[in-house]
Parts: sequence; structure tokens; C-alpha cells
Amino acid sequence: MRNTITAAMLVLLPLGSAAHAHAFLDHADPRVGSTVPTAPRELSLSFTQNLEPAFSTVEVRDAAGARVDQGKARVSADMMLVGLKPLPPGTYQVHWRVLSVDTHTTEGSFSFQVGH
Amino acid sequence: MPRLILRALSLATFSALLPVSDALAHCIVGGRFFPATLTVDDPCVADEMSFPTLQLNSANPSGRENDIEADFSKTITQDFGVTVSSTWTRVSPPANAGTAGPVGYGFQNFETTPQFQLLKDPEHEVALLAGLIVDWGNTGAAGVGATPWSTITPTFYFGKGFGDLPNSTGFVRAFAVTGQVGYQVPTTSFDPVAGSPVPQNLVWGGSLQYSLPYLKSNVIDLGLPDFINHLIPLVEAQFSAPVENNFGNQFVITGTVNPGVIWVGSYYQIGVEAIIPINRSSGTSIGALAQLHFYLDDIFPSTLGQPLLGGKPQTTAMAGR
Repeated sequence: MRNTITAAMLVLLPLGSAAHAHAFLDHADPRVGSTVPTAPRELSLSFTQNLEPAFSTVEVRDAAGARVDQGKARVSADMMLVGLKPLPPGTYQVHWRVLSVDTHTTEGSFSFQVGH
Repeated sequence: MPRLILRALSLATFSALLPVSDALAHCIVGGRFFPATLTVDDPCVADEMSFPTLQLNSANPSGRENDIEADFSKTITQDFGVTVSSTWTRVSPPANAGTAGPVGYGFQNFETTPQFQLLKDPEHEVALLAGLIVDWGNTGAAGVGATPWSTITPTFYFGKGFGDLPNSTGFVRAFAVTGQVGYQVPTTSFDPVAGSPVPQNLVWGGSLQYSLPYLKSNVIDLGLPDFINHLIPLVEAQFSAPVENNFGNQFVITGTVNPGVIWVGSYYQIGVEAIIPINRSSGTSIGALAQLHFYLDDIFPSTLGQPLLGGKPQTTAMAGR
């Protein structure tokens, strides 16, 4: 078995260059946990891997739990964008769930504040 | 309209064929990623490989010991996997008095661990896992302490991230804990060479980790350098106590506390820790631990990174969620 493990490593490691990994959130605008002085008209999320558009979603909700995004997000490569309704001052919760091109799903959530 | 129907059918077909792999990943539960910890196991079945894991001057009360370890984990189904482990040891003086020379070296007993995923709760970042660690007797070298008898350890593993705490708790939400507890049963009760009973042991351990990747993507993006945003500082600890068949021996809890840090990349992680014995029965000096760990599910997402059986059962329609 020791030889098997060593042999597997030697064979497999060079093949890694063609791989794709999980898509994790790289940065967001508005930034994660930030406070912005004026209401953004759009939320953009940038991920560490390219996304499958049909299976990647994002929701933005206000403190009462009501949706404040414009609906279906636009996905291009590793970016996901969604329009926002006019946001009064307050705290907003973002929940995203994406499928990377290697078919792994990841999800996460964060908040940002407007006008406080 | 026909184009819409065709598009819907295409989407449905794509959805049906897609190997959506929520449960296949290395240990991701909701927004929480539990890294492969160096001392205790993470609470998930996974396709991953650690090589090498180097222990320099590892905890050994009777001498100096260095280890090189390899671990390979493979999912059989989405919730069931097996880990095989092998460790090469160099110890001075040899563990077995009958070993020639001042240094003993060779392989420890071969180890296998079937594991079953009991729970993954994304909302509360909780993972539960059950495993059976089998140390196969007489497969290693007596000179490094490998026993002629086997040891079976039913083990329970858990992980909990604190991301479900209220937003007002802020930075605390990036903390997570993992742990494991097992009951070690040897297949013999008496060691005829040493002339002493072989005790049954309670073995337990855990980790307290602070995830800077989680802080950046789920709590607050502080604009830290990219390298820092990939770090998970942590403290691990492992302990063992004889609880049965310990006649004539002193009751002593042994263990180590291992502070360190893990750098997490897309395809691999690198971890380093210090090994601090909790008492002289656990070791006489501080050692070091380093590990290179590969995420096979990311390196080979459609082959080796898939379960052997049932790798494409999920057809979760995520669109519209």
C-alpha cells in the first residue's frame, strides 16, 4: 500500500493543471461587512472560479426579510451581478449559492449597510 | 415558444446529468470550510491526500522520534469513505530493546479508517462523522514501537462553525471548533514481551480555528493582503488516558497541544504546527509538524475526486432558489 500511495502521487500530480476548484467569493461590491453612504444600484460578486450561470443565484434581503434585488442575476465568467431596488438606509443581507464549472457548489452570506 | 421549450428541456437534461457535489467536497458545510487539520481529523468524508506529513521530534517520552506519514482518503459513496495511512518512523533509542543498533527505523502499523457522514447542517455549519480506526497489528517494525496486536478505535467526529451567530457578534463568527473522541480497544489484553497488561484507552482531541477566509467572505472584508486572507490560525490538542485493563500501571493522561497555522489554496493547503507535550510522560521537548495536503476533488473533479459509487445522483435544481 505504501508503494501504491507513492505511485498514485507520482502519476496524479502532473494532471492537476487541468483542474478547476470550488468557487469561493473573492470580493464583493459593496464590500463584505461594509457601510456605504449611498444606496448601490447593483451588487457585484467576484469569485475565484468561473460559474455555471444557470445554477448560480444570489438574493438580497432587507432587515424585514423582503427581497430587494431585481431578480435573476447576470453571470459572466467568474462575475455575478444583480440589480437592486432603491435601498433606504438600513442593513441588507446577501446570500449567494453558485456552481463552479467543475460542478462543485458553494454558498455564503454577508451583510452590508446603507447610510448609517 | 418551441425555443423556450427546447431551452427548458436542455436545462432539465443538463440538470439531470450534472454531478452537483454538495457532499463530495472537502469539508465544506454551508459557508464554512473546515480545513484538513494536522493532528485531529476533520469531520467529513472527502477525496484528499496528505503527503508528506512530517513530524520532527514528535512527542516521545523515551527518545527522539521523527515521522513521515502519508494519508489517502477516498469516497466510496457520497457519505461513506475510507482513509488509509502509513507512517515511517526513525526513533532513537529503538522502541524495542531487541533491536540492533542505536536507532530504530521502519514503518508503523498500517492504518485504515472507514468513515460515515452522519450529518451536514449547512445553516448551522455543523458536521458529524463516525469512523472506525483500525491499526493492523504485525504490519510494522517492532523497533519503532509497532505492536504485534491490532487496535480498533470507534471514533466520533464533529465540527461546528459559529457563522450562525448574530451579525452583531462580528469577528467571533469566523471561529470554528472540531473534535473527535474514540475508545481504543487492543485485540490482546496482555503484552507477553513487556509482561504488562495492554490498557484500553480513551482518546480525544480537538481544534479551535479562526478562519480568515471566512472573515473576508462572510463577516467583513478588511482589505488584508491576499496571503493573509488564506490563513487559518488554529490550536489543536490530542489526549489519551488508560481507562480499562491498566492494572499495575500509573494512571497518566498523555497528550500534546499544537498551535499553528494552515494556508489554504484552491488545490492544496500547507500547515505547520508546534508539538508541545502536556507533561513529561507525553514528551520531553517541543517538536514540529508540517503537512502538504491535496484536495483531490478539486484536482480531479470528474475522476478521482468523485465517489466510486453514485457520484452523480444529485440533480438539485438550484436555479430559482
